[in-house]
Amino acid sequence: MKKISYISLFLVVLIAASCRKLDVAPLNIIKDADIFSNENGVKAYLASIYGTLPIEDFIYQPNHGFMKNDGGRWQCFYHPGSLDGELVGPYGSTDEAATGFGFWPYDNIRTVNYLLQTLPKYASAFTPDQVHQWMGEAYFCRAYFYFALVKRYGGIPIVRTLQNYPQQSIKELQVPRDKEEDVYNFIGSDLDSAYMLLPETNLRGTASKYVAAAYKSRAMLYAGTIAKYGSGNLVTGDALTKGFVGIPAADAGKFFQAAYDAAKLVEGHYSLYEKNMANKEQNYADAFLDNSSPENIFVKDYSLTSGTAHSWDATLTCRYMTADGLSRCYPTLDLVERFGGPLPVVNNDGTPRRFTDRADLLQGLEPRLLATVYFPGATLRGLNFDIQRGIFKTFTGSAAQELSNNNNTPNEAGGNLLMADKPTVLYNGRNIMGFAGVSTGGDDYTRTGFYVRKYVDYKKAQSACGLYQSTQSYIDMRYAEVLLNRAEAAMELGGATQADAIASINQLRDRAGATPATASLTVDSVRNERCKELAFEHQYWWDLRRWRIADQALDNTKFYGLLPYYVDTEGKYIFLKQVEPFQRSYNFQKKYYYEPIPGGELGKNPNLFPNNPGY
Amino acid sequence: MNRSINTVIVAFLGAACLCLGYSCTKVDNYAGPNSSFQGNLIDSVTGKNMLTETGGYQMQLKELSWSDNPTPYYIPSKPDGTFEDTRIFGGHYSVLPTQGAFWPVDSVVMDIKGNTTKTFTVVPYLEITNFTHVAAGDSLVMQFQISAPRTAGLPTIIDAWPFVNNTPFVGSTAYIQPYTISAGGNPNKNTVDINSSWNAGIGATTYEIRVRGLLPGRTYYARVGVRLNDSYKKFDYSDVITVPVATK
Repeated sequence: MKKISYISLFLVVLIAASCRKLDVAPLNIIKDADIFSNENGVKAYLASIYGTLPIEDFIYQPNHGFMKNDGGRWQCFYHPGSLDGELVGPYGSTDEAATGFGFWPYDNIRTVNYLLQTLPKYASAFTPDQVHQWMGEAYFCRAYFYFALVKRYGGIPIVRTLQNYPQQSIKELQVPRDKEEDVYNFIGSDLDSAYMLLPETNLRGTASKYVAAAYKSRAMLYAGTIAKYGSGNLVTGDALTKGFVGIPAADAGKFFQAAYDAAKLVEGHYSLYEKNMANKEQNYADAFLDNSSPENIFVKDYSLTSGTAHSWDATLTCRYMTADGLSRCYPTLDLVERFGGPLPVVNNDGTPRRFTDRADLLQGLEPRLLATVYFPGATLRGLNFDIQRGIFKTFTGSAAQELSNNNNTPNEAGGNLLMADKPTVLYNGRNIMGFAGVSTGGDDYTRTGFYVRKYVDYKKAQSACGLYQSTQSYIDMRYAEVLLNRAEAAMELGGATQADAIASINQLRDRAGATPATASLTVDSVRNERCKELAFEHQYWWDLRRWRIADQALDNTKFYGLLPYYVDTEGKYIFLKQVEPFQRSYNFQKKYYYEPIPGGELGKNPNLFPNNPGY
Repeated sequence: MNRSINTVIVAFLGAACLCLGYSCTKVDNYAGPNSSFQGNLIDSVTGKNMLTETGGYQMQLKELSWSDNPTPYYIPSKPDGTFEDTRIFGGHYSVLPTQGAFWPVDSVVMDIKGNTTKTFTVVPYLEITNFTHVAAGDSLVMQFQISAPRTAGLPTIIDAWPFVNNTPFVGSTAYIQPYTISAGGNPNKNTVDINSSWNAGIGATTYEIRVRGLLPGRTYYARVGVRLNDSYKKFDYSDVITVPVATK
């Protein structure tokens, strides 16, 4: 009996002791207080947000997205410029990439909302300036995400607070689409908050006051043109009538004014890169490679040690000048002709001008053009851009007859025109194709006679120009764009602000070595200036869409190259404007002005219907 | 417990787990998509099948019996103006001919079960009339006129294109590009720009398109198409003509 009573006493004690609740927080899970109560925690949290920002940089591909850690990210030639006519590239058609990659970053937006909601609870651990800065950076990042969403889809759900499941029902969490205009207004207000809260300067690659203002000028300009150039060009459908795509024309002026005002705020805090105005061509090339450039407003950095290095140098120049990789996208003559009209390759009588040396073509061309595009006869890493399409034994007649490049002219008949797939094939001791192109074999040599120069690091040794070895920073926002946003908004507002537009454009033209603009400046000339200045910078694809001219600019369109030929009996070169040899057509259907909402998201949330028209 | 009973128990437990696991599967015994839906689109002006191409219009299906917000499913047209899909889930559908060069029509709510056939009649934006051609040597000259069954609210007419191919399947997605050159600034341009809303002058004009450079000994198939600036920019077509080119 005694044993049983001792045992039962023991058990009672144990049970009593176990009635205490074990309310100790787990030590292996990071809690809010670990992050938000100390500076390092907040900075680490913000760094993770910056790391996910949808920056369209060297490795971004319009049909595959931001390519983080993706094994295909070395293919920098899958560039939106290869869709919109700045380049001809590996895309067989516009359809391959026009419907996007199902971008839907609401998980990242939640990460931002989490900071916005939680940091104020720990504000007492920091100075007011620190809290303001971090909140400002969060507002900037949130606006960045929403801008990337709205320019693809139009109106999408605006989620500005944390959603909680299962505390909220599924029905409550199925947030409906907001109107496109409301999303732009939301972006504007987040960037206003950022502007108010952020300090004037901050670390490289982070947001500061005038960074927010610069991006506001971009976003508001987009909204203004979407409103002004209207929805008349869009596909009819529910989403259009309900305002999920398109912005009422009456609101254009308000957005242009907001863009103009935001751009003006940036003045005086950044300036165009003009360190070497004695050599404007070299100056312009260096503007993209000099980390200390005062023009850089928001950059993304890369390094070998962090494994983030990209492949721009290995894939934008021909293999002849690199260590490995290959090239597959090339500037079009259509882009080159924006700079000064047709190149001087045709005589007054219509015959092709004869050149003793291909490099003679470069004389008198705009320095900014020569710094953006490599021409035949230019040099890089001690090698010549030896570009030659073929050899005509003889050449008679006009340049115009050769335009359509269909191998059906008298000059091309009877074996008079020789072409080759390798530079080692000779005719009378001379190579038929140049060491840098143009080949009949494939697209790893130029198809247009040109190569991209912008961002190419000419100081790198050839042996270092390999895949994943490039570290030049990507400049997502620079002061030149702010001037262009300002000028375009000014022209759209009309009236007295036109003089301001002329002044902005002339700052760019002076730096570029181009002829100054006069009072006859038009909206079209400002747009053309934007195409020249921001070539290959992931802008023109979005510009074509917001100007509502994409379906006319890319209307079964073929692009041209400027192909050099050697004329054997004359011992001279000629340059022929011809449709690029692949003769690809690019066609932008009207439904592509907006991407389809990802099917998986429509399945989870029926309130995202109506989908964008045409899908 | 001795060893042999242990092994029996382990074996028994193992077998039990295996059986339980197996019963956690469900056999997919849902019906497959074994209904078919076919039909054609009649041109209200000619009473015959709409002259079109592969993908010249789409038959849009929304399965209302599946969801209140169904994702649209599209059946592309065939070159002869018919459409057919033999792998449709049977159900209650909203069906609409769309994304083609004709005036919008209302959708039709119907059941698709087994072999279902449906004919739709649409009014094309434009008809190509008085289509004639002369083939001589290496060139082909096509002449035609345009008429508009309905003119009120007609979208702007953009241009007219020739299409030449070496199979009877010829249209904007199947043509030999050098015979259709549309590139601006190219003196060899074969397309005709119109860029105008409908007016009597367009109806009165005889348009002419000349294609050069046909190769001897080949047989080509050709037609013309006119397109308008609506949401889809598809073509209204003429008949397909056969053009044999004499050997030299």
